[in-house]
Amino acid sequence: MGLIASPRFILYHQPSKAPQGAAEPLESKDLANSDELYRRLFRTTLLIRLVEERVIELYPSDRIQSPVHLSIGQEAVAVGVCDALRADDLVFATYRSHGFYLAKGGRLDRMFAELYGRIGGGAKGKAGSMHLSAPEVGLMGSSAVVASTIPHAVGAAMSFKRQGSDRIAVAVFGDGATEEGVYHESINFASLMKVPVLFVCEDNGLAVHSHRHIRQSYRLQKHAEIYGIASCRVDEGWDMLAIREASLAAVAHVRAGRPFLLEIATSRYMEHVGVGEDFHFQYRDRAAVDAWKARDPLVVDKALTEALRPELEREIEAAVAFAERSPAPGRDELLTDII
Amino acid sequence: MTLAATKERKAPTRVLSYAGALLETMDAALANHANVFIMGQGVDDFKGIFGSTTGLAQKYGAERVFDVPLMEEGMTGVAIGAALVGDYPITTHIRADFSFLAMNQIINLAAKYRYMFGGSMSCPMLIRLVVGRSWGQGAQHSQSPQATFAHFPGLTVVMPATSQAILDMYPKIIARHPGPVISIEHRLLYNLDFTVSSNAPAIPLSTYIAREGKDVTVVATSVMVVEALRAAQYVKEAAGVEAEVIDLNSISHPDWELVVQSVRKTGRLVIADTSWLEYGVAAEVCRQLMLREPRALAAPPTMLGMASAPCPTAKSLEDLYYPSQHETVDAILAQVRGVGHGVALPTERSMTEAFKKFRGPF
Ligand SMILES: Cc1ncc(C[n+]2csc(CCOP(=O)(O)OP(=O)(O)O)c2C)c(N)n1
Ligand SMILES: [Mg+2]
Repeated sequence: MGLIASPRFILYHQPSKAPQGAAEPLESKDLANSDELYRRLFRTTLLIRLVEERVIELYPSDRIQSPVHLSIGQEAVAVGVCDALRADDLVFATYRSHGFYLAKGGRLDRMFAELYGRIGGGAKGKAGSMHLSAPEVGLMGSSAVVASTIPHAVGAAMSFKRQGSDRIAVAVFGDGATEEGVYHESINFASLMKVPVLFVCEDNGLAVHSHRHIRQSYRLQKHAEIYGIASCRVDEGWDMLAIREASLAAVAHVRAGRPFLLEIATSRYMEHVGVGEDFHFQYRDRAAVDAWKARDPLVVDKALTEALRPELEREIEAAVAFAERSPAPGRDELLTDII
Repeated sequence: MTLAATKERKAPTRVLSYAGALLETMDAALANHANVFIMGQGVDDFKGIFGSTTGLAQKYGAERVFDVPLMEEGMTGVAIGAALVGDYPITTHIRADFSFLAMNQIINLAAKYRYMFGGSMSCPMLIRLVVGRSWGQGAQHSQSPQATFAHFPGLTVVMPATSQAILDMYPKIIARHPGPVISIEHRLLYNLDFTVSSNAPAIPLSTYIAREGKDVTVVATSVMVVEALRAAQYVKEAAGVEAEVIDLNSISHPDWELVVQSVRKTGRLVIADTSWLEYGVAAEVCRQLMLREPRALAAPPTMLGMASAPCPTAKSLEDLYYPSQHETVDAILAQVRGVGHGVALPTERSMTEAFKKFRGPF
């Protein structure tokens, strides 16, 4: 594989100091170990997909009684971005966050328990799929209100700066979220305050069933440009390596003290919410998704997929078993942790 | 689409789902009023706001039924502007929770417009909110903000509990109501079938008696009206208790005299609301009773609502979070017969088990 594309950068501000780690041995070492790197990223990407395929299998059993927004087709975004982050960097994401939860290092068993609404879940079952979090690994609370966590990332980044820390915060959101007022307020403020925040737009071209062109009169990068925010678009959103490379450059820029926008084209294979496909509703073209699949490493690289599958499936089975064993939260949990 | 926009004859009594009633009224509004338009996220897609706008974009065109970007506050402001120059906007939020992004426009602008500008202008419009419940809707897809909106003078807030309430109220609101109306619809009701009749007296934009009874008054809102009616049936069969069920229906402008009269008769009161009790509908019912007839009650009232917590996603907690049919029945019997009433309670654990037609994810 190794489809390293050359992402298109728009840089409006040169970083004030040399970005930490950029073009340093890290990169050349990576190239030397590119097979290993590819395998590592591939493994996490495949894990996410197999986890969600397991969710699809489990769903008819009603064990997961919660809406699920699958990221199948979009996993590489989470993996490429998170791999470029440090463990202590924070990610603020959305209701579609199974991928970011796992890519940031969240525990799989606790995730299944959370989906099951069991006490062993990260939020003791009170969150479910739409509000995953794993603060111990830097995945902050996911929200089901579109765009609502974007300013949280800006605020965390502002405080990192105030505290003299070199941690960064990442706001993950969909293309639709950029239509909300709070997105505009947030990027304006981030630019004014020069805070170390990375904006990551997962551009799947859809908000529920509405295509981007009927919703947006702007191009996201051009739009960020007028706010003085440098950006980069990755069109090859199936390629974990390309995303990782673009993310490394973006993160270096951010760590040097400037906000940055990373727009990553991606493809949602399944319906907006739920576990089925939705091509029969004919609001979108199956061919576009098929074309994407034809380049999706998880589809194309059958050898590696099959090589990794058994161990990943064992991991998933153990996590599901953990969830099955975990008790449902009882009445004593109903009124705890409120204030 | 075969829906009747025009004056096509309908059977005097027929079965119509809540979603079907919504679709009929939306269709009729577009057909009968050239100034009506519907905008909201997904109003023109194949799911059509859970079937309440399906096919209308094709029938009336994209100038009148159209999708919007994610812009709750902007959309509401746009609707206000359109209303100010004579159009009648209908906006939708597939979850009431998303209307919170439009609070500024709804509360600071729409609610104030007529008054603040000396009555010279107004912005009649209909804002439809859908309350989610069950199947792990969780903390941000389940809120029921009737008390919040009814708190602000200038807003008319209704909660239709049946297909009939929609058929009777929406056309009047759209044709004649002078100001902004917030209608809070309940997702659990959408797929339920109701018998509707064109001969019965129309449900007013206010409170009405859904079932007469002499032993206890149950004041309910939205899906809790349906719950109260089920409970009333149960206590009649199991214990010969006659509960009077009052559908508050209008949250901002209820008929308090109707409520007081009923309590005067029964001396017993259960209030069943879809939201939290604190500073909510239940509190307001008690305030009104206190002002009008402080000695009417023979015992303290019983109140049913959501537990005082954000909504948990886990099914085990969600079942405890909302009042079950079991609790509603128990509350009614305890009012009439005392806590040790000794009547066997229904075995059903959660209300949503009875509303089998509703199944996730949305
Ligand atoms: C404020 C708000 N408005 C509407 C919704 C309903 N809704 C849920 S997801 C979604 C689409 C968002 O699209 P996008 O940001 O592109 O994310 P994607 O689902 O494609 O990942 C909408 C409209 C919501 N959750 N929050
Ligand atoms: Mg999208």
